Amino acid sequence: MEATAKKLALPPPFEEALSRHEREIMRFLLRMTRDQNDALDLFQETWLRAYRAYPQLDSEQGLRPWLYRIATNLCRNRARDNMRRARVISNGDDPTGDDYHLASASVAGGGRHEGVIHLRRAIAGLPHKQGQALVMRKFAGLEYEEIGAALECSADSARASVYQALKKLKAAR
Amino acid sequence: MNQTLKDEILMREMLDDDGPLGMDSAPDDAAVDAALRAVRSKLARTLGRARRPLARIGVIDSPVGRLLVAESARGPLAVQFLDVPEAPDALAALREGFDLVEDADVGARIGREIERYLSGDMHALDRPVDLSLVRTDFQRRALMRLRRAVPPGSVITYQALAAAVGAPSGQRAIGNTMATNPVPLYVPCHRVIRSDGTIGNYGGGVARKIKLLRAEGFSVARDHRLPAGSVMGHLVTHIFCRPQCHAAMRADRAKSIIFANSGRARSAGLRACKLCHPA
Repeated sequence: MEATAKKLALPPPFEEALSRHEREIMRFLLRMTRDQNDALDLFQETWLRAYRAYPQLDSEQGLRPWLYRIATNLCRNRARDNMRRARVISNGDDPTGDDYHLASASVAGGGRHEGVIHLRRAIAGLPHKQGQALVMRKFAGLEYEEIGAALECSADSARASVYQALKKLKAAR
Repeated sequence: MNQTLKDEILMREMLDDDGPLGMDSAPDDAAVDAALRAVRSKLARTLGRARRPLARIGVIDSPVGRLLVAESARGPLAVQFLDVPEAPDALAALREGFDLVEDADVGARIGREIERYLSGDMHALDRPVDLSLVRTDFQRRALMRLRRAVPPGSVITYQALAAAVGAPSGQRAIGNTMATNPVPLYVPCHRVIRSDGTIGNYGGGVARKIKLLRAEGFSVARDHRLPAGSVMGHLVTHIFCRPQCHAAMRADRAKSIIFANSGRARSAGLRACKLCHPA
């Protein structure tokens, strides 16, 4: 695809994108969900969404952060669904409003283990952009330029978001 | 180690600095491999259901300039002039409908067919085409009709083509159809001209339109008018006349094709008018 792709500024064929990035996306999802079943599900959904939206991808450079954005959003939605389901099942009162907080702003998936809640709570309490940036930096190891590309802001803005997130997490301990 | 403790360690590592979590807190390669193995065939099936058909593409330098060409299993799918800014952009539509893969053979084959055509092999571009990128049924019908009814060495007016596909006042629609033809050369939109006898527009630039018509035997004049010796062929009666023939004048101009000369008209299966005796 090299010669033509360069002339036309096209992203690589989808198969190539898949084989290039499947490992790191899987690693990212395993870290985020800490549950293989969830990770496998989200892995399929990530690549299906990526395939459907592939015609809209502009360039090869944007591919990696674009994939992480899809994966991160899916993790967030899955976590929110899990929290909601857990609340329905437990059917308990929620005087602190913590469950609602988690359900509406959680970033990472899973949440099946009691002990995970503490960390998830902390990340979930962050404002949306800071939570996304932190997860991408910490769990995916993305560079700030890439986080910026994924969140549609500058690298400096991404860096600032991560610092703010860390500052808040430290203060909450 | 219990989960809460693991969590605490993870939390400390997270807050340590703004760098990524180290590889110890990551799943190891073996775990990632196992996960990938577990999901591969399911993913292939899931994607398989959503798959777009395949289009093979290439960029070639041809006698009509630099071209982006694309072909599906059904045949040529797109030919785009890359050196003309006003040429319609096929790439976005291609990407929406197809998975693209580069294929040098496709480019080479199409390049050869175009070269043979411009060297005089008027059947070099006859193979079936894929009109998936054409937006409406009307446009598809108009392009197919054009391909069938207007052979090399003849031209048709926008008006006559509109009449032929059952849209008598559809000149503008025909103009639009030609302007958005995704497979020029294979579908000869260069053979559609204005009713006043002037050449009209072309996606690849008017100079190219003239070049193509000339290669087909139409020696288009400098003022973009048709050559003397052109004859009018009637689509219904299959008779061809000189343009000044009374019968031709009375007949519906909207139902005519213009041939470069009598020979071409005869090759297309028409017979000479008994009134005006074209050469």
